[in-house]
Amino acid sequence: MEIEIISQDNQELVFRIEGVEVSLVNALRRIVMVEVPTLAIEEVLFLKNEARIFDEALAHRLGMVPLTTDLEAITPRGECDCGDHCSRCSVSLTLKGKGPKTLYSGDLESSDPQVKPVLDTIPLVKLQKGEEVELEAIAQLGTGIEHAKWQPTTTCAYKNYPQITIDQDKCEACGLCAQQCPRGVYFFDEKENKIQVVDLENCSMCRTCSKDCPNQAITVEGLGDKFIFRIESDGSLPPWEILTTACDILFQKAEKILDYL
Amino acid sequence: MIPIRCLSCGKVVSAYFDEYQKRVQDGEDSKKVLDDLGLKRYCCRRMLISHVEVW
Repeated sequence: MEIEIISQDNQELVFRIEGVEVSLVNALRRIVMVEVPTLAIEEVLFLKNEARIFDEALAHRLGMVPLTTDLEAITPRGECDCGDHCSRCSVSLTLKGKGPKTLYSGDLESSDPQVKPVLDTIPLVKLQKGEEVELEAIAQLGTGIEHAKWQPTTTCAYKNYPQITIDQDKCEACGLCAQQCPRGVYFFDEKENKIQVVDLENCSMCRTCSKDCPNQAITVEGLGDKFIFRIESDGSLPPWEILTTACDILFQKAEKILDYL
Repeated sequence: MIPIRCLSCGKVVSAYFDEYQKRVQDGEDSKKVLDDLGLKRYCCRRMLISHVEVW
């Protein structure tokens, strides 16, 4: 198996992976999406809500706010012996404000300085003059299999690595493929009178080029053992940590099977 | 109020709405603003383009 990173930052990780089957890559994708835990607000205690928004609607909005997560520091809900929530398995955030104003995610005050909203500019509730809101929100670890608010990724997808072959005996260098391709994969070099593939990895394998080619000179295929994998994080965990945690989870699953043998 | 996340992909789009609205009102091209804000997928872009703030 070979892995080559195409681009990486705090938001997104893109890499080529070669010499693996779809089954393994897809297992990783599914674990990344629904089994890697993150923090999200699970319970909201309203002390006061005079705003026009209903309690449950505001609680739902709070749940969708991504929170920075330290997986080492917090115990998952099911594994804590407190039965409800305690400082080991939860983080408390408070929101308080009096109108006229809009309360943003940045107004949430966290009991743990490590845990805070990823973005401070998410509008939560609008307050008219004199209206007051006061609440305590309990954030806990969970997985995307329970609720999408615990999904650590926004996009997590792979595609087969494209392979484009141009039969030079058939190609008449008409340039139609370069014109038709919606992804800018081809470049028609007028000096050399030749078609060049300039952006292979952007190819979505729509096959517009091979369908439109008057001489059927182009074949587009997806390689069965090479993929481009993209993980985009919602900010709660860095993408490389999401991937390594997913690998750990897959490893633990395999170990469980071995235990029975 | 604008939904916190994109309904299709889950990206947090509401965090950019205030800036988007202000810049578009000031006469900037909304395509350029969306590109600046890093919203590249059409699912996220329609969230901001089509939202009408009622209350």
